[in-house]
Amino acid sequence: MNAISNWSANRGVRLGAVLLLLVVLGVFPLLAQDYVVTTVSHIALVAVAILGLNIVMGYTGQVSLGHSFFVGVGAYAAIIPIRDLWGGPLAEGAIVLGFLLSALIPGVLGLLVALVAVRLRGLALAMVTIALPMIGLPLAQRFSEFTGGNEGVSIRRLSYVGSDGETYRGNPFAAPAGSGLANDQWQYYIIIAITVACFVLGYFLVRGKYGRAFAIVKSNEAIASSMGISPYRYKVLAFTTAAIFGGISGFLLVVWNQFTSSETLAFHHSIAYVIATIVGGAGSIIGSILGAVFYVVVDPVMNGLQLSIYSAIVQGVVILLILFLLPGGLASLPRAIRRLVRRGRTGRHADAGPEAGSASVTTKQ
Amino acid sequence: MNPFAEFAQLFIDALAQGSLYAALALAIVLVNQATGLVNFAQGGMAVLGSYIGMTIGNAFIPSVGWVPGIILGIVFALAASVVLGGVIERFVMRRFERAEEDTKVVATIGLFTLLGGLIGLIWGFRPTPYPFFIGGSESFWIGGVAISVWSVVTFLVIIALMIVLQILFRGTKLGLGLRAVADNASSAALSGIRVGGMRMIGWGLAAALGTAAGILLAAKSGLSPNNFDGILVYALAAVVIGGLDSPIGVVVAALGMSVLESLAGRYVEFIGHDLKVVVPFLLIFLVLIIRPQGLFGRRTVVRV
Repeated sequence: MNAISNWSANRGVRLGAVLLLLVVLGVFPLLAQDYVVTTVSHIALVAVAILGLNIVMGYTGQVSLGHSFFVGVGAYAAIIPIRDLWGGPLAEGAIVLGFLLSALIPGVLGLLVALVAVRLRGLALAMVTIALPMIGLPLAQRFSEFTGGNEGVSIRRLSYVGSDGETYRGNPFAAPAGSGLANDQWQYYIIIAITVACFVLGYFLVRGKYGRAFAIVKSNEAIASSMGISPYRYKVLAFTTAAIFGGISGFLLVVWNQFTSSETLAFHHSIAYVIATIVGGAGSIIGSILGAVFYVVVDPVMNGLQLSIYSAIVQGVVILLILFLLPGGLASLPRAIRRLVRRGRTGRHADAGPEAGSASVTTKQ
Repeated sequence: MNPFAEFAQLFIDALAQGSLYAALALAIVLVNQATGLVNFAQGGMAVLGSYIGMTIGNAFIPSVGWVPGIILGIVFALAASVVLGGVIERFVMRRFERAEEDTKVVATIGLFTLLGGLIGLIWGFRPTPYPFFIGGSESFWIGGVAISVWSVVTFLVIIALMIVLQILFRGTKLGLGLRAVADNASSAALSGIRVGGMRMIGWGLAAALGTAAGILLAAKSGLSPNNFDGILVYALAAVVIGGLDSPIGVVVAALGMSVLESLAGRYVEFIGHDLKVVVPFLLIFLVLIIRPQGLFGRRTVVRV
């Protein structure tokens, strides 16, 4: 066991593992079946949203119940400029513009919400952010000339005027003619590239100076202030970052589906994001990916087992069980198993072993 | 229609709607006082209680008649809610007593999801009518103004329940115990008060209050599993505006917010019917900027 942990701590080995992962991510869509590729794309784009929520929830200890609002706004911010400008003088620039807006608009909204909502300690953020999807939904339906109302906006067959003056129909996220890729493979590469970039950014954010500040704010705000770290400022920063990642996830949703509607903002998605974050592992980068797998896979699995009416119950039970038994989420499973194994081994030698262990746990709480 | 009559109707209907928000907000404050957390499942518990009332009511009405059947349903629903609240506190939330605030919130969200799924599984997702003395459509006339019976009844019943709760809290030994636990649980325990029991009672009372509001809402618009999702948001807004530690504050905030929303939706051209939901949200923002502890809340000072 020692050998294994030494081995996994080695920097070179870790770097190698990351490179291997990148190669696998790069090659596998060429070999896998279509639905596997689209499913992995879906997991990747959800993982970006959950990474964002994890920064505010897992790392900074603030509950946001409005994350679907930022994903939905990001999706609109991406799809509307593409719908209106793609194929025009901006050409592919419309997609870049959509991407930038999908980060900028949710970011600014998140900043405004956080500047106000973070003023109250504790639960205020949860109580205020729950209003975002509840209000975003009717707003999106009211301004239906922009948002398409309940019908939503689709850019799968977008009409545009070509250089010869004729009108064509096309999909902005179809694979380029010379690439030899299918559309879903092309979309996969766009999604995975942006996802990897987001995870690299997220990793360095939570590992560096900001991550340590988040952790102190989470564990004790008074200590944070006494060290010159403003809890207010860092909570605002974390929330804004979460909103930006949510918005980018909305852009990726548009790449994946070429469609969005007001349903993307709906409150139940916010709850699903929160559940996925906890199930995957709050405060863990790997946990964000595991949470995304849970988010994407749970519904098809329940449908496949003919159990979809139990879906909400299962989600509720899973979240409570995880909180009871595995507060670190699935990401902490290897550590928990290792601890159990170790306790089992020492427990046989000395009866006092496990009792001393549990006593120390209770005093720590 | 004459403008005064319309205004009077709007005002009374808004008070009734606001009293539903107030009941749920007060339930949230009660739970917060008893256990220091915000229960996002409060609405789901209210809906579950109402479904129990509907089932019992419908089961008894054929044998005992309309009025006793309805009353039996209500009594059962309230009793079941008290038990449900106590059981959830004892067997679910008690485990998170020492957990971080955000963990507790997530636990209540899990509960919310679980209850919603359970209700859907047992009773289905389609709206069903609730057997009650009055529906949402009867009205009576005073001086040329049509006033909804449901609105008046709802407003009065909820205000009466609040007065009863206030008497319970201020005038009985049980209330003294509840207040002692809310104020300082460890010194309450030292003076011989059963803290755990008091917390269960706090949760039970809150659940019953929520269920009363749930039944009144169901009488007007029927029952469906997500009946209280929207109302929960308003209740939470009222809690933020009024202050988590101020029962009177949240009631005033809930009623005021509802009236303001309704009037703004009718009389401010730009807002209109579709955008009136934004009004409470703007109010929250204003309050948080001016008085972050809520309009009636006390500022708490944390000493290290």
